[in-house]
Amino acid sequence: MANSVEAHHGEHEHHYPGFFTRWFCSTNHKDIGTLYLWVAMIAAIIGGVMSWYIRAELAEPGLQLISNDPEGRQFYNVLVTGHGFIMVFFVVMPAMIGGFGNWFVPLMIGAPDMAFPRMNNISFWLLAAGFILLLIAAFIDGGPGTGWTVYPPLSSADFHPGRAVDFGILSLHVAGASSILGAINFIVTIFNMRAPGMTIHRMPLFVWAMLITAFLLLLALPVLAGGLTMLLTDRNFGTSFFDPGQGGDPVLWQHLFWFFGHPEVYIIILPAFGIISQIVSTFSKKPVFGYLGMAYAMAAIGVVGFVVWAHHMYTVGFDVNTRAYFTAATMVIAVPTGVKIFSWLATMWGGSIRMEVPMMYAVAFIFLFVVGGVTGITLANSSADLVFHDTYYVVAHFHYVMGIAAILGMFAGWYYWIGKMSGRQYPETLSRLQFWLFFIGVNVLFFPQHFSGFAGMPRRIPDYPDAYAPYNYISSIGALITAVGTLLFFVVLWRTYAAGTRVGANPWGEGATTLEWSVDSPAPWHTHEDLPDMAGKAPAE
Amino acid sequence: MASLQTRNRRIAISLVTLVVGMLGLAYASVPLYELFCRVTGYGGTPKIKIAGAPVKKSNGTIEVRFDANTNKALQWHFKPVQVKQTVKLGEPSLAFYRVKNTSANLLTGTAIFNVTPFKAASYFSKIDCFCFVEQTLKPGQEIDMPVEFFVDPEIFSDPKTQEISAITLSYTFYPVERDEDNVDRTLSRKSGSNDEIDS
Ligand code: HEM
Ligand SMILES: [Cu+2]
Repeated sequence: MANSVEAHHGEHEHHYPGFFTRWFCSTNHKDIGTLYLWVAMIAAIIGGVMSWYIRAELAEPGLQLISNDPEGRQFYNVLVTGHGFIMVFFVVMPAMIGGFGNWFVPLMIGAPDMAFPRMNNISFWLLAAGFILLLIAAFIDGGPGTGWTVYPPLSSADFHPGRAVDFGILSLHVAGASSILGAINFIVTIFNMRAPGMTIHRMPLFVWAMLITAFLLLLALPVLAGGLTMLLTDRNFGTSFFDPGQGGDPVLWQHLFWFFGHPEVYIIILPAFGIISQIVSTFSKKPVFGYLGMAYAMAAIGVVGFVVWAHHMYTVGFDVNTRAYFTAATMVIAVPTGVKIFSWLATMWGGSIRMEVPMMYAVAFIFLFVVGGVTGITLANSSADLVFHDTYYVVAHFHYVMGIAAILGMFAGWYYWIGKMSGRQYPETLSRLQFWLFFIGVNVLFFPQHFSGFAGMPRRIPDYPDAYAPYNYISSIGALITAVGTLLFFVVLWRTYAAGTRVGANPWGEGATTLEWSVDSPAPWHTHEDLPDMAGKAPAE
Repeated sequence: MASLQTRNRRIAISLVTLVVGMLGLAYASVPLYELFCRVTGYGGTPKIKIAGAPVKKSNGTIEVRFDANTNKALQWHFKPVQVKQTVKLGEPSLAFYRVKNTSANLLTGTAIFNVTPFKAASYFSKIDCFCFVEQTLKPGQEIDMPVEFFVDPEIFSDPKTQEISAITLSYTFYPVERDEDNVDRTLSRKSGSNDEIDS
């Protein structure tokens, strides 16, 4: 506390409003960030339990847990769908954007709060409402068994006649509106509310990541919203956008979905890129190598990400030129991605590295992301993808590059910032154990899926021939280890709040140069009310 | 300089415009996509040349195969009369499909169509086809329906389509839903679950 530049903030302590006003009507960026993190953690438990149930079913050939009838198989499909939706829309996005974004973007750019605090509150409650709608969807009319891609005709009224898919669509609409409002808030905040001297080219890379993510959200989500509305009217009001019997085309849905869907994977991973950049720099005690290259690499990934969508639909029968284009365009993304990987390595190179838990997670992130990137290049080849499409090879690929990588980025950010958020440090030994369990778990879980996928095992199917049994058994053991690692995280969380050692403004020392480390820990309710002056300072990272 | 609040509003409004614009683009993609498919033969959309007259004659021949499908909700029996034909390039040919209403109701259907390989579509033209209009069949009624088409000889000049030796013309009949038609949709809904896995 002694080295805090804002020591006078202690006096705001007694301004905390009552419980209801503070947590239900909150307009404070830190409280809203905390709310988002809690929702993400609750959703992670639900989405996680769904995936462990799937893995338990897949541990052996034959049907053990689900019943061997259409209802049972529909239930399996609902689990897969629910897991995908929850992890993407209600775990990673809320934690990264709503949670860490709300907490740290204002702190890092020296702003007292977000530009539109009330709208921030609306964003949060829309997200909560979206989540509840999705849970309702799972319990009515057999649930939505469409996969997170919601392809018609499976998602049409012919094959999902009940209300489940309509509730799912509504859920995504509401969650999408939440994200759009949030994105507008971030862009305005970052454009207009930087402290004097905090020029665009001095912003920490996490802020850059959030800015680009926000633009991707604004460009991609309305297209999903449009497509979903067409699906909704096809199902209920007699339009036929995707119904070939009335002159529509289901492939149009795939174009619309993936025009959103591919940028969506960058929406998920760019914030993690930002977090990893902060952490690698902090624990190497060096500014990030090639700061501007890092920032513009993210921008390039964002731009090119909008013209590669059809690599998800090579099997619909494109002609050879179209496939050649989408293969080439997809591979182009490897260039800015490579810039990022090599810059992180170059930052570590010759740095004074401290392997604290956040840094262990950052290195693990880079490892997983590279593995997933390599299989991504494989899948980008349209001719190869015709064979890999809808196999477990794809499941392994996207969990490495997006799903698990994002979770590692979230853990990295949590361990990095928990001192700032709670004023207490995580328990060291338990946290290291948590890291190793989770890291080993996810690799044992997903690495074998490359092989079962290579051998042709299809995804989204609850049963398989005996030939695939060994890989699936190993994979399910990995899921068990991952589950234990996840459980241990909640123990770490509890021990941190219950018995963590108290930390000062900057527990990480010299390497941590960004503005959030200049305010007290836990960060007081109001921060940066006197704007810090960054004039003449070096780029934050 | 304008107050922070005004400047914030200004940016927010332009961002909202961006969102609305993207939403508009999503809807604009529907007619654009249809136009694109029709012009390029994308996704196997054949050309329609009601005016007829083939471009030029040639001695080359190509095999045309005929395929028929019926949506489960329509109780019709639908089959090609001939499985395949060898046709002269550039010359109009006639083929027939036979359809029978196996239900006890008056039913109306409409057929959608495409050709495979998709890349052959821009060289496959229909002059006349039963699929251009809706078909209504009385209970138990059976009819033969014609399709008149030709294959453009240019198909053998294009390096991308040179190697094609057979084109498949495929139709799927769907019910045209009117309230009087009491089409049994629940039938198809029930069979919707994935019955491919049986263990
Ligand atoms: C806790 C660790 C996780 C486990 C054990 C797990 C397991 C699974 C399994 C078994 C499937 C079904 C594969 C299939 O049958 O096709 C699946 C699908 C999926 N997972 Fe995960 N997953 C985990 C974490 C994540 C995370 C963190 C994300 C995203 C951020 C994610 C996103 C998805 C998506 C999008 C699908 C595809 C759903 C669909 O096919 O529609 N998963 N996962
Ligand atoms: Cu993609």
